[in-house]
Amino acid sequence: MPHAPFIIASFAVAGVGMTWLIVSSYLSMRRAEGFAAKLKDRP
Amino acid sequence: MHRFANPARFLRIAKPLTPALFWPGLVLTLVACIWGIFFTPTERLMGDTVKIIFVHVPAAWLGMGGWTGIAIASIVQLVWRHPLAGVSARAIAVPGATFAAICLITGSIWGRPTWGTWWVWDGRLTSMLVLFFLYLGYIALSNASSDKGDTSRVAAVFGIIGAINIPIINRSVIWWESQHQKASITLSGSSIDSAYLVPLFVAVAGFSLLFSALVLMRMRAALAEMRIEVRMRRMAED
Amino acid sequence: MKPKHQRLLLAAIAVVALVGAGLIAASALREEASYFYTPTTLASANVPPGKAIRLGGMVQKGSIVHGADGVSITFTVQDQERSQKVAYRGITPDLFVEGSGVVADGRLGADRVFVADSLLAKHDENYVPKELADIDMNAAAHTKDTLVP
Repeated sequence: MPHAPFIIASFAVAGVGMTWLIVSSYLSMRRAEGFAAKLKDRP
Repeated sequence: MHRFANPARFLRIAKPLTPALFWPGLVLTLVACIWGIFFTPTERLMGDTVKIIFVHVPAAWLGMGGWTGIAIASIVQLVWRHPLAGVSARAIAVPGATFAAICLITGSIWGRPTWGTWWVWDGRLTSMLVLFFLYLGYIALSNASSDKGDTSRVAAVFGIIGAINIPIINRSVIWWESQHQKASITLSGSSIDSAYLVPLFVAVAGFSLLFSALVLMRMRAALAEMRIEVRMRRMAED
Repeated sequence: MKPKHQRLLLAAIAVVALVGAGLIAASALREEASYFYTPTTLASANVPPGKAIRLGGMVQKGSIVHGADGVSITFTVQDQERSQKVAYRGITPDLFVEGSGVVADGRLGADRVFVADSLLAKHDENYVPKELADIDMNAAAHTKDTLVP
């Protein structure tokens, strides 16, 4: 059985999962903190 | 204990800490993956599929470590009423669930060429799948509950009860005959050759730093949303 | 007693009770949750012939015998104390080698030979580079050469 597809698939799964986590966590943080700061500046 | 309870003081530390954890974490993770894929020797029986260890094991440890963190934070929330404890517990849930899922999927992919099957219902695989479903339950419960009051305590109690699964996962290969091999790395040493062990620890360090950075990001997002909610309510009252 | 201490005591009792309950449940499941029989547990379990079970253990060194048809093999599975003969027809997994672990799905025949329908390889907890394993084997062969003139 060739091993390369299994290795590539494993690292791809880990890469996709972690990229999704990083991007979604970062964006939700930026959005929330940006909005909170905008509300604070408003009189 | 309550010295760090103040969200403003927490944010003063968390804001510079987030990139300070994230970037070294990302670099270490990438170094470990490249090291693991291109510069580790073929294993005596498994051949090249041994390289899957560099994502499978760190993901497994953090999936289990995540729930341990949820349980500790839940105890702190219930006993000391620490205002940040519940926030941190909820911030761990999604990263923890994702790492548990990565562990399960990469393990399945690893099982096919080594064992000859994608899945078996032995003690280790089943208890790890239970952990993933516990995460899903916790996420649903904590999303349904508001940040204050009794409802978030239900999630905290669930977080503590679910922690019983963590020692079961750890001991499953010792208590029961299982398809999964016994632990390679224990307190008394390791049966993994240093050619794999060193990059594995680099990967564990990288994954852990990334995990911490992710939790901080999600805590900051949750705290900002709480500020927005307070502000909106005050504006509505005016 | 301050309410905080009361809550701490309650949480401590709850955690101890939970861990205790978990441990009791886990040890009660000791037999049922095992994924396979070892030759030793199989010998004491009184499993009737023909009942579908799993058998796991080490493939005894030098025990694999290939049949004349090319697809059937027999080998011996052993644990620390006992061993069990296994017959199998089909393709063996890549990691099925002597001295390594195996989990067989099948049933005991009337002649007490375990007839396997499928074989899964079981990896042990050791991770050794191939080169190192080869060197070890060569070294072992060399010492044997010098010891046995």
